Amino acid sequence: MSSEPLLDSLLLRHDTWRGRNRSLRKHVVATGNNSLDGLLLGGWPVSALTELVTQQDGIGELSILLPTIKHYTSEDKLCVWLDPPYQPYAPSLVNAGIPLDKLLIVRSKNSKEWLWAAEQSIRGKALLFAWSNKAQPRYSALRKLQLAATESLAPAFLFSPHNALKTHSPALLRIELESLEPNALSITLHKLRGKMPGAKIQISVGDVMAERMLLDKLPVNIHYPKSQQSGYPLSKKDDLQSLNT
Amino acid sequence: MQTAPHQIDQNIWLYVKLPQLAIEAVTTNTTILLKEVPVAVAYSHKNAQRIDCCNQSAKAWGVDPLMSVSTALAICPDLTVLTKNVQQEQQLLQQLALIAYRFSPEIIIDTDGLWLDLSGCAQLFNGYNRLLKKLYTQLCRQSVNATSGVGKSPMAAKLLCSTKFHQYLPDSGEIQCALMTTALNTLPSTNKQQQNFKQLGLTTIGDLLALPRSALSQRFNSELMDTLQQLQGDKPCLLTRFKPANEFHSAVQNPQGLYSKESLLFPMKTLLQRLYQYLMARQCYSRKLVWRFEPLLGKHQFMTVRLSGSNHSGSSLLSLSRIQLERLELPSSIEQVSLFCDQFTAMPGLSFDLFGDQMSLQENTAELIDNLNARLGAEALSRPTINTEHLPELAGNIGAIDQSSDPEQQPGQTQKPLWLLPKPAPIKLHNQQLYWRKPLTIVSGPERLCGNWWQSEQQRDYYLACDSKGARYWIFRESTNKRWFVHGIFA
Repeated sequence: MSSEPLLDSLLLRHDTWRGRNRSLRKHVVATGNNSLDGLLLGGWPVSALTELVTQQDGIGELSILLPTIKHYTSEDKLCVWLDPPYQPYAPSLVNAGIPLDKLLIVRSKNSKEWLWAAEQSIRGKALLFAWSNKAQPRYSALRKLQLAATESLAPAFLFSPHNALKTHSPALLRIELESLEPNALSITLHKLRGKMPGAKIQISVGDVMAERMLLDKLPVNIHYPKSQQSGYPLSKKDDLQSLNT
Repeated sequence: MQTAPHQIDQNIWLYVKLPQLAIEAVTTNTTILLKEVPVAVAYSHKNAQRIDCCNQSAKAWGVDPLMSVSTALAICPDLTVLTKNVQQEQQLLQQLALIAYRFSPEIIIDTDGLWLDLSGCAQLFNGYNRLLKKLYTQLCRQSVNATSGVGKSPMAAKLLCSTKFHQYLPDSGEIQCALMTTALNTLPSTNKQQQNFKQLGLTTIGDLLALPRSALSQRFNSELMDTLQQLQGDKPCLLTRFKPANEFHSAVQNPQGLYSKESLLFPMKTLLQRLYQYLMARQCYSRKLVWRFEPLLGKHQFMTVRLSGSNHSGSSLLSLSRIQLERLELPSSIEQVSLFCDQFTAMPGLSFDLFGDQMSLQENTAELIDNLNARLGAEALSRPTINTEHLPELAGNIGAIDQSSDPEQQPGQTQKPLWLLPKPAPIKLHNQQLYWRKPLTIVSGPERLCGNWWQSEQQRDYYLACDSKGARYWIFRESTNKRWFVHGIFA
């Protein structure tokens, strides 16, 4: 009968890990998409590093974060974009309701500067979006960012290329983004405290354009090449939800 | 209602005398430590070098002011003799006046001291004694020896200056009593007048003031009457009041030379502390710091630190300057470091947030931008800007962070990409199939966007395309030469 007080005292300890800890839900910010919130146990983890591994650019990896940017910039927080791969297009950011004066694009010259700027941004209480274009940062560097993020009040996002999945990551949340068909983004959970990895959802991004006009008259092929069209490894799931961006 | 010991309406002048000013002025800008060794400052007078001022350890050897330098050196062979520098003395007095300016709005600079009008300054500091205590701590931080005197007029305060700094305010009876018993030979007057005083049997100021004014004015000239009126505070003091300069400039010299960036931080810290005093006195923030590093030989080097103007504490300015200093290539040895600052913004009226969140957040943001600016350079920071143009590369651009853009933009109807390629990438058209990285398929379109005909005659039909992996692109076809380009990526 002495096991019960022991269990209680263990649960009172700060460092006892509990599988589905309900208190985790407090430290999240809603993603703006219900099925994604469900996958991530409530939303993007705050005070933590989140790693988004993308198969390729242009699959909607940034648009799932637009509600989060809007949320933080409306609170007067600065949003730092560190080494974005392309030029952010201002009209579409304005359309999404993001004030441009709260965005700051930072270009680093080497990996040392990249890490310094990332750490400074996290410690400066800004919302960080970092792209590791030049070289995949070392584990110790990312660990530094994760530690810095625990003291911050905002999430930090790191976009990594696909080959980053071969190495371990100290990030609290690691998801893989890929698109198997147009306008559908499939998200695979690789690491999240309190949830088994491997969970997968599919959400739709972007509007399916209604105005198909004059396309038949174009001098180019408007259909996929036949060889590419067959055999998607993942069939469309029932929990497909639309994300309006 | 006679509860307060000091009435508000009476004039209270404080005189802060700096007995060691000549030494402190010469040694303050150098980093040599001369506390323990005997030091004296000499001035030339009629082809002879005489001691002007000497420190305690020199006095212990028997060196006295007005002694000739050769005599002093004979008494004390280890004596370090420095040359008097009136300009540096004035600079030190100006620095101290900046500190005193935070305690009183009326400051007068004397040749070796400062006058402060303390009347009515008690309220802010919760009493005169607290004010004096704070002032003394501030002066001690500047490592100067100070003594003080309090009187009803500037002249009385100077006459009553004692050999130590009093951290409490004597009441008016004590002041009056002290003034009356002061010897007459300290009063500014001519030799002839002093002789007259002796012949009349007058030894103290009290004796002189006891005589009727009409009798005095007959016996002595009007200048003495003016002096007496100024002494008693009946006549206002007409000396010019101190005002902080419009620009800040200060320098620290090191004759031995500084050989590493770490050792440069010490003089830089001193200069920033002076700047902080200046900014506090003027109630403003600096926008730009200009550092000048002068080597022993060769060309001096400038370093400009730009500030967002929300941050003014010495430590944050130092860390910013330090970050920028790391990027700077300096000559091997630096003799003089100077700081110049002429761009200021008014300190915003602080309204404290009850929970303190908003204030600290804005400070954090400004500090972050300053930090990134200092380490990475202004060219590394940018911000998306928007213009009312049709061509996408003109409508959305990248600008400097202090550049403001036009937020009045009508939300467009069509979907726009989040990424724009810096330069449109040409698409291969092969067998009626578009290829860019992968085969592309057009999903929707077109939307025609035209450039301004007076600038570039371009007509583009924009389409939304996607590839087999689901990536979506914003592509266009130029209607003039029918070529295809990728312009944006829907991330």
